[in-house]
Amino acid sequence: MKPIKRRDFIKWGATAGSFLAVGGGSDLVTRVFGKTDTPKKAIVLGFDGIDPQLLEHWMNEGKLPSFQKLRRQGGFRPLQTSIPPQSPVAWSNFINGTNPGGHAIFDFIHRNPENYIPIFSASKTIPPNNHLSLGNLKIPLTGGDVKLMRKGKAFWQILGEHDIPATVFKIPSNYPPDSSKQRTLSGMGTPDILGSYGIFNFYTTAGANIDENLGGGRIHQVYVIGNRVETKLPGPVNSFKQSRPETEVEFKVYIDPKNPVAKIAIQGQEFILKEGEWSGWKRIHFHMIPTQSVSGICRFYLKQIRPEFKLYVSPVNIDPADPALPISTPQSYAQELENKFGPFYTQGLPADTSALDSDILDDEEFLHQDDIVLQERKKMYEYELSRFESGLLFYYLSSTDQRQHMFWRHIDPHHPIYQPQLAAKYGNAIENIYKEADKMLGKALNKADKNTVLMVMSDHGFTPFRRSFNVNTWLKEMGYLNLINERKQGEEDFFLNTDWSHTKAYALGLNSLYINQRGREGQGIVPSGKEKENLVREIAKNLEKFRDPKTGEKVVRRAFVTQDVYTGDYAQQAPDIILGFNRGYRTSWSSPLGKIPKPVIEDNKEKWSGDHCMDPQVIPGIFLANRRIKANSPALYDLTPTILKIFGIKPPPHMIGKPVL
Amino acid sequence: MWIFNSVLGKIFEFLFYPFHNLSPWIGMIFISFLTGLFMLFVFRHTSNQQGIKQIKNKIKAHLLELRLYKETLSQSLKAQRNLLGCNLKYISYSAKPMLVMIIPLILIIIHLNLWFGYEPLSSGNTTLLKVKLEETHSPLSTDVTVEAGKGLKVDSPPLRIEENSEIDWRLLVHKRGVHDLYIKVNGEKIKKIVVATTHSLHKISSVKIQGDFIDSLLHPGESPIDDHIPIHSIHITYPNSGMNLWGFHIHWLVAYFVLSVFFGFAFKGVFKVSI
Repeated sequence: MKPIKRRDFIKWGATAGSFLAVGGGSDLVTRVFGKTDTPKKAIVLGFDGIDPQLLEHWMNEGKLPSFQKLRRQGGFRPLQTSIPPQSPVAWSNFINGTNPGGHAIFDFIHRNPENYIPIFSASKTIPPNNHLSLGNLKIPLTGGDVKLMRKGKAFWQILGEHDIPATVFKIPSNYPPDSSKQRTLSGMGTPDILGSYGIFNFYTTAGANIDENLGGGRIHQVYVIGNRVETKLPGPVNSFKQSRPETEVEFKVYIDPKNPVAKIAIQGQEFILKEGEWSGWKRIHFHMIPTQSVSGICRFYLKQIRPEFKLYVSPVNIDPADPALPISTPQSYAQELENKFGPFYTQGLPADTSALDSDILDDEEFLHQDDIVLQERKKMYEYELSRFESGLLFYYLSSTDQRQHMFWRHIDPHHPIYQPQLAAKYGNAIENIYKEADKMLGKALNKADKNTVLMVMSDHGFTPFRRSFNVNTWLKEMGYLNLINERKQGEEDFFLNTDWSHTKAYALGLNSLYINQRGREGQGIVPSGKEKENLVREIAKNLEKFRDPKTGEKVVRRAFVTQDVYTGDYAQQAPDIILGFNRGYRTSWSSPLGKIPKPVIEDNKEKWSGDHCMDPQVIPGIFLANRRIKANSPALYDLTPTILKIFGIKPPPHMIGKPVL
Repeated sequence: MWIFNSVLGKIFEFLFYPFHNLSPWIGMIFISFLTGLFMLFVFRHTSNQQGIKQIKNKIKAHLLELRLYKETLSQSLKAQRNLLGCNLKYISYSAKPMLVMIIPLILIIIHLNLWFGYEPLSSGNTTLLKVKLEETHSPLSTDVTVEAGKGLKVDSPPLRIEENSEIDWRLLVHKRGVHDLYIKVNGEKIKKIVVATTHSLHKISSVKIQGDFIDSLLHPGESPIDDHIPIHSIHITYPNSGMNLWGFHIHWLVAYFVLSVFFGFAFKGVFKVSI
């Protein structure tokens, strides 16, 4: 098997952009579905990752007046999250009104059971079937496709069938957007122009410090010659050519010999940046063959000019004015927003956490970048709110989640990389984003009349992530997994050093554990039936018994046997065990892609310091409404029938929840 | 040359005066209509109208011949040969008016580019000011400064690019309007106009240039820079404009060409012109 690097894995989807430039496209004149007026209206605000404990704490301190007001009007409950509590899974529970057995999204990462290779769970790229080969050219005769892997019917599709208009903004697990005549813009899961979840570029003269294995970004060694830097911005793979070269766009940076200022010249665009400044959006065309190019947008950040030159370029986002991949329904919706507000972040999770984790951006710079995202979102939110007259408006915010991931280390003195000085400076970053959410809620409260049901929800809460658990290493220590070469332990990703003929179980993804089942896995050895079931229960029991030698705490609070907790048509596709980690623990950075390092458990020294891939009971989400909440412990899948009930629609039989208002 | 440009510029300002606040399409239709009439006028007075009528009749006759004798190869080939000959003659009849029209049309297009080629800057946005020096002067040793008038702010230190004999600044527009910008060099002060109006149709000159006859002809929007000043050009970057047609952006030149030809054909009967 050809070895694949972690970065290559992230870039796998790159093929899609260029193929689909030919095959993509939808009807420009499609009209938005639904009646012009409904007696009842609903506004749902989805604040990713808002934690009930933090929310209550700051509400009680009077720092979140709009949340307080909403709590007084209706109520506030912790919201049962999904198993596992990962955003794609949790939001799919909400979208379909089922548990993962009903929508087939079980983790951020699934695997191909044939070869154990990890794959993205959310979407799948299908290249064109037929090509015409002309020399080095490879001309697709049919369009490619990108397929949404979430199964079942989304609630806005059901609303559409009943002629209820809906606008669904950036909801996760909706890339490519479900076929619908409602206004939808795809959210988490939407790739950049490379087909990855976001690959930034960083250009520097500081060659000695280049880390070739950097995840989520590419470092380019550049040289300043005659006060000028000449370099290239990489684009998508050119699938129109047999050799599939990477497209690229040359650009120059002119530096003043004395002043801290530079001019960037790229594709006929010239703009000046002072040191420490961000550019606006720049549109870049990656040329494939004559008549075919892919359009993307990016921002430049001139971090430093001297003594070392440092230039950051954001991941190249899909251009909403000319999307190479489907990002909205109707396609004209993304274009409409672009016409009104100019280019905007289309990437699913635009906060560049990788750049912060890799020390390419510091805390201040990351906050500034995420603030650009937030300001874009707020403008569009006000626009959507102002024109909302009927039906449903769902609006999603990712910054609440991303800032908690990256800044938890500043509010957790027990975190391995807690630094009091930085905590003093950035310790309020999470509180501030909650306040921003509060301001957004305030606008919705002002908009909501007596016929409007206003709901606020989050998909999960947050806890510290202090200790990393190498699940596969634990499986090896327990004798469930064996290596081909013990001396090479920890060197290979993707289970390349795994002896499958002597391996009974393996972990892949953030919470998933699979039995190496005969007939299902490519080199499976465990027969299905009683033997497998006994093994699953044995591993689950041993996981729950395991304690961190350093703290004495349980690492896995609950190991869920999926056949006990999942229902629905796709439950058979689920991993065999879902790991519900204890507060402070999570799977390590190596485990999700099949690396097997030597230590079973180690400190998490990454800036990604808060997390939610734990036991769902540890991190419920939030639910507030301006109507009395009847249920004491509502779940994500209860909110779907609740929305349908507002509009007098009977929930379809596959929905497992009950209305809570 | 500047006097000529200035007079022509005033004519266009007069023509477009009523359309400043209307959709650019109205101005475009108006100027295309005038151009169509102008083309008809030139065609009528410079072409051999009688000859064109006759040759068109001959072409029709040979086309008929082609249909009637399609079974007879020799007759068909003869008709095709005659058709080709008539077409060449028709082109020769059209060549004279085309040659007469081409120079005024180029001048018109150069001026129309000032009106339809660019969009005014927006308040709150930045743009690039590029000053190119004569090659004999180094941007590192030549003292060039910028003085922004009301509504503008110089938003960056100078960026000097020696290899291009160029100094750049970033300008911030903080107020709508037509603003003056002054470039100072060797005690001289050169004015450059910066347009940030809300008018949908406004004359925008992106370049002020010191140059020869051709340079002056191609950049007629502002008076040229005096020869003794060591600045070759002053350039302001404006967003490119396009004609919006049901959400599709088309280049103004395409719209102008199509509309002018349309009006020419539409009114040829009225003015009894054979084309």
